[in-house]
Amino acid sequence: MSSLLTCQNPDGGWPYQPGGSSWTEPTAYAALALSIDPSAAPQVAAALRWLAAHQLADGGWPPQPGVHQSTAVTALVALLGPAALGEASYRRGIQWLLRQTGSDTGLLNRLRLIAYGRYPLQPAAGWPWFPGTSAWVIPTSLSILALRKTMRLMPGPAIRERLDQGEAFLLQHACADGGWNYGTAESFGYTARSYPETTGMALLALQPAVARVIGRACALARAQLRACQSSEAESWLRLGLAAHAQLPLHATPPVRPARDVRTAALAMLASAAAQGRHVFLD
Amino acid sequence: MSSWINRMPGINRREFLQTSALGLGLAGCASRLSPPDETTVSIAAAPDYDQRIYAILRQVLAEHRLDVRGKRVLLKPNLIEFEPDGPINTHPLLVHAALEAFRSLGAQVAIGEGPGHRRNTLDLAEAAGYFRAIPRFEDLFTDLNLDDVVHFKLNYPHSKLNAVYLARSVLSCDLLVSMPKMKTHHWAGATLSMKNLFGAVSGGVYGWPKNILHWAGIHQCVADLYRALPHHFAIVDGIVGMQGNGPIQGLPKRSGVLVAGRDLAAVDATCCRLMGIDPRRIDYLQFATGDVPQLLRSTRQIGEPVDRFATSFDLLPELSGLRLVQPV
Repeated sequence: MSSLLTCQNPDGGWPYQPGGSSWTEPTAYAALALSIDPSAAPQVAAALRWLAAHQLADGGWPPQPGVHQSTAVTALVALLGPAALGEASYRRGIQWLLRQTGSDTGLLNRLRLIAYGRYPLQPAAGWPWFPGTSAWVIPTSLSILALRKTMRLMPGPAIRERLDQGEAFLLQHACADGGWNYGTAESFGYTARSYPETTGMALLALQPAVARVIGRACALARAQLRACQSSEAESWLRLGLAAHAQLPLHATPPVRPARDVRTAALAMLASAAAQGRHVFLD
Repeated sequence: MSSWINRMPGINRREFLQTSALGLGLAGCASRLSPPDETTVSIAAAPDYDQRIYAILRQVLAEHRLDVRGKRVLLKPNLIEFEPDGPINTHPLLVHAALEAFRSLGAQVAIGEGPGHRRNTLDLAEAAGYFRAIPRFEDLFTDLNLDDVVHFKLNYPHSKLNAVYLARSVLSCDLLVSMPKMKTHHWAGATLSMKNLFGAVSGGVYGWPKNILHWAGIHQCVADLYRALPHHFAIVDGIVGMQGNGPIQGLPKRSGVLVAGRDLAAVDATCCRLMGIDPRRIDYLQFATGDVPQLLRSTRQIGEPVDRFATSFDLLPELSGLRLVQPV
């Protein structure tokens, strides 16, 4: 935790790399991770002030203050919840999130893809990284996690519908091996293999989904965890498995070095989840 | 971190933008690197990834008479996947050889990449063998996806973008050296030194992949970035490339060459000829140059002849129309 604290910028935000300028994504991850420890409350408060100062008029958050466009990082900020962000700010963020959908589900694009036989007839609406582009597994997973928290606090049919759509998107994009890729599971007739980081994230997001899918994905995730080559992947796999009480009891602690603020915060969140404090599901 | 990129603590964002704007403005008047009038492309035989590459690359740079003493050079390899031996990433030994060759010419050399596929770049570089091949790699490397960004206005763009967020390090170097792997690409036909410029676009802003470039038109965006980043040089890793369903799921294809030059379009057109792809049918070359046949006529070929190393790369059936039927 101390290394994370020392990386905080004087403006209250966190950079990706120590010494860099503040970005929304590492700031949100650091605030989530440090929220576990009450002794870090002053640092979290500074982060929340930084986030409050950079919310855009449309309700979303930009990836960096100089960027005048809200993006998928809004889902991460929303995971901090209304108590941290303030209810009005939180609601505006959630409204922005509810308005976003991948451009690939637009009518013209659907017709084009259907003509090529490359897409299910009723594609589910996921979330894009950047407005006006296609939906992908990572922003969809993060948005599901954010909206699931909203559903517990302030339930409503619009939120339920987007959650259903998001989960359907993930199920449609499952790879043949049972895990998840960044996007499509098949391209030009070739089967795409899954990746550990995306498998862990989707597993985490699909908490209440079909048992058969989850069981298969958990088995794959455990195998991926044994051969992991990155700290980020290791953390997401642990978070995903912990969400389903499938993290092996004697799983080795994280061994890969966290090389930036985001992955250091993720490693903290994964360790906390292994000990029963799952911030993404609180 | 101690590369020149990371040693700019005294410069703030406004100063940087003013500096880069000035630099870009001057770029249209006179290049700091005095490129020759002629578009020279060299083809060098390079049988394998071994110690011979070091001498070959020094010879390549000598042929192009690059004046980089005291200049800030950014090597931009193509890093995609956690594989040390597959044909997917630019080979780390080649990047180290380029680092040494540019250093021997007096340049300050850094390495940067912003992968558009998997985002944990340093872990990716480690798995791909970069830490083993390049001493103090972490100190030299900047993840362009997480670098500070500059909102760069595109003048008369071919794509639907009017501006794009680019990594600061790419705009602040004196020479950007695009070092792609010679590969087929299931959408663009071939991914070479121009397509490799997608790595300069901020993943931190646009995500993984940088899907906005697909929606705005892949070929058009390649051409826009080629024009936006004028101080460049290309060294294409064609020792073992990728054919078929590239750039990720294809199979190895050995060509045994390094292709280099100051004009990325001329280099890429030459690579296409080596791969058995008709450069006149690659849309981004057409967008970038406006006249590919003229580009081919004006290219001065040095080193090995194309026909000695030309070898037909397998293409997906959807791309069979790109096949080079007669030599150009």
